[in-house]
Amino acid sequence: MKRQKTGIAAAVSPGKKQSLMGKLYNQRQLLLLALPGILLVFIFKYIPIYGILISFKDYSAAKGVWGSDWLNPIWENFSRFFKNVNSGQIIWNTFKVGAMTLLFTFPTPIIFALLLNELKGKWYKKTVQTISYLPHFISVVVICSMLNGFGSTTGLFNDIREFFGLARVDMNSGGTYFLLEYVGSAVWQGVGWGSIIYLAALSNVDTTLYDVANIDGANRWQKIKNIAWPTIRPTTTILLIMNVGTVMNADFTKILLMQNDTNRSQLDTISTFVYQKGIVEGQFSYSTAVNLFLSVICFILVFGTNAITRKLDPDNSLW
Amino acid sequence: MAKTYKTKRKNRIHYGSWAFDIILVIFMAAVSIVFIYPFLNVLSVSLSSNRMISTGQVTFFPRELMVEGYKMLFEEQNIWRAYLNTVIIAVGATLVNLVCTSMLAYAMMMPDFILKKFLTIALLITMFFGGGTVPTYLLIQNLHLMDSWWSLILPNAVSAYNVFVYRSFYKGISPEIREAARIDGASDIKILTKIYVPLSKALYATFGLFSIVGVWNSYYEALLYIKNPDMQPIQMILRKIVFATGLSSMSNAQQMIGNGVMNKLNVQYACVVATVAPVLIIYPFLQKYFAQGMQVGAVKG
Repeated sequence: MKRQKTGIAAAVSPGKKQSLMGKLYNQRQLLLLALPGILLVFIFKYIPIYGILISFKDYSAAKGVWGSDWLNPIWENFSRFFKNVNSGQIIWNTFKVGAMTLLFTFPTPIIFALLLNELKGKWYKKTVQTISYLPHFISVVVICSMLNGFGSTTGLFNDIREFFGLARVDMNSGGTYFLLEYVGSAVWQGVGWGSIIYLAALSNVDTTLYDVANIDGANRWQKIKNIAWPTIRPTTTILLIMNVGTVMNADFTKILLMQNDTNRSQLDTISTFVYQKGIVEGQFSYSTAVNLFLSVICFILVFGTNAITRKLDPDNSLW
Repeated sequence: MAKTYKTKRKNRIHYGSWAFDIILVIFMAAVSIVFIYPFLNVLSVSLSSNRMISTGQVTFFPRELMVEGYKMLFEEQNIWRAYLNTVIIAVGATLVNLVCTSMLAYAMMMPDFILKKFLTIALLITMFFGGGTVPTYLLIQNLHLMDSWWSLILPNAVSAYNVFVYRSFYKGISPEIREAARIDGASDIKILTKIYVPLSKALYATFGLFSIVGVWNSYYEALLYIKNPDMQPIQMILRKIVFATGLSSMSNAQQMIGNGVMNKLNVQYACVVATVAPVLIIYPFLQKYFAQGMQVGAVKG
């Protein structure tokens, strides 16, 4: 800031007393550069936010968002959702899928990074890393296509079950096995990629700490516990806050692919319900209302976890 | 006495540490196999005979080599067309993304830019709150972008996260260079294109590759906005063949499956391979740039 006001910069950039119009004129090039981005954000991010209004309205395409009639009572769509016999199940499913995903996809990259960090041999370590990132770049449709075979009654999972003398089950029909498949594939995809950020933090560790620990005769576990773990703890806290906020926002495109008419009720989450009601059945207002309910929960979760962290550990909160 | 105790303990630790290393090497090898096996298995199954697939004998390598699955796939589905569509969408989206994000981030980097604060807040809000599926769908409908590739290119072209990362990257470029150029009479547009863009090649390579892979891998937007079967990207073809009626509409393939010559997995996994192969081809490039990208991303925090 200071530099801007001295010397040549001050002569070129607008001074303090310049009028708004003069400032705008001086920055016309910057404004021009920013314009396409501003337009895209305004049109594709803000107009849909404005469109949320239809959750309180009886939307008709002819009348538009503003012209459509208000519902009476205004919260009719929300009470309709809560009166739906399945809404409890849907909310529970959303939470269950999200919580289980978080429970397993959050710690695994940390453990993986700590173990990789202990691995001796640069070439070997690098090879394992490269291989571990690979699943991250695979699309959700490909993952689900693989799961379709893996979880079928003749798939690998059931071959393993049979080897241990267990009966074959169809994982894709819903229930606990589907959850296992869903979470397992998420771990498989995310563990390597997720470890990058922790490995980056670990590479900054002061090596003299390890030298001192060696002189003191610390064992491997002690070194992990007292040197490596404290190094990545701040990163862990920040990522945990960010992830808790998304607990109700699990990747529904995966569920959407694996849903069919026989397992729909078991696999329905809020987001797939929104898709089904809104896009498939054309109940725009109702669907938007249910989505708004989800957005508000997510919003509260993000800000709630951040507020708690700020109390407990002010240095590591997001803002 | 104390001394002997200490040496003994040290020896034990070394022994334990050595065992730990061995176990870790073996464990990591096993983990690597878990990461790779699904790819190998899909490739092998796509190339094996029905007899071997249905008796569950295909694991790491193809058994009784058969390429019929690929033949049927490329004969009865317009895979080349889907490739072309996906490339157009991916390149288009990436170009719009890079150009608009750079320009916006450059303007927002300027300390005295008049909209700096306003735009920062406006972008932050979009990180935590959005309109959702239906309002966006209605917007695309109202803009008459249904069945247009713009519906896949424009909505996610500018993301708040990217703008913030670009901005922090640009901030890392010494402002003296900018000021010197300004003395020479260079305009902002010139400074951006002649100084900032050449100095940000690593940034563009990383985010460009991410964008291309991201678009290549997405299906949801196409499911919502593209109804015309000739305009579908590759992921939608795969979805159709594995999860919808795509396979049953392939009459020759159906016949071969009915005869027991071919397994439905031959076609389905051939399509998986066709979908994944391009990503695996550019993987070495991704590999090279993403470590940089992660560091750039971390600067933001």
